[in-house]
Amino acid sequence: MRRYETIVILKPSLGEAENQAIIDRATGTIEEFAGSIVKIDKWGLRKTAYPIMKETQGYYVYIQYAGQPAAVDEMERVFRIDDKVMKYLTVKLQDVFTALPEDEAAKKAESDAAATPEKVEEKAAEATESEEKTEA
Amino acid sequence: MAFKRNAKGAGKPARKKRAFTRKKVCRFCSDDSLTIDYKETRTLKNFVTEHGKIIPRRIYGNCAKHQRQMAEAIKRARQIALLPYSGDTNF
Repeated sequence: MRRYETIVILKPSLGEAENQAIIDRATGTIEEFAGSIVKIDKWGLRKTAYPIMKETQGYYVYIQYAGQPAAVDEMERVFRIDDKVMKYLTVKLQDVFTALPEDEAAKKAESDAAATPEKVEEKAAEATESEEKTEA
Repeated sequence: MAFKRNAKGAGKPARKKRAFTRKKVCRFCSDDSLTIDYKETRTLKNFVTEHGKIIPRRIYGNCAKHQRQMAEAIKRARQIALLPYSGDTNF
């Protein structure tokens, strides 16, 4: 099992349901090949640096997962056929999937959010502060 | 006494003209909190020109290892349209 991340750019004209259908199909493929999703992040509509398929905007979706190489092949094959997908990029992060501390943190934040929503907000504020520090 | 016609500066050894420069240090080596990630375009933009070309490492003093990682990150960002191949970086 390897750790991968994939960024998919979908056409901007699609509705929320169509976006979700494409994401579900991709995650379905990964799970079919005994993989598991670590994180799905919808970045939403963004301007692209150059026009792709005559579109200057795209709906970015980021997926991080553990999976087999065959799952990636299959997912990308489907992306290439689907003309709602403008572009995709898959990067291998780990040769052997091992849990990272940030995975735990993400899970903890989720469970905390369910239990005490106020605490998480504080944490989020702290996080943005530290981000600003690193930029300076 | 006869003057040599082209005697200007003759006799002085040719000296290299160089303004005082401070030794540059790779900022990724000196600061652990900085990371190179192709998804963080805000960091990457500092290392490309306004036309999107990768800036050579002699300018910012990146070490070879980090310049290599930086170049790869920029190229990945270009593939997924986070940075332009050429053109304005503030699109």
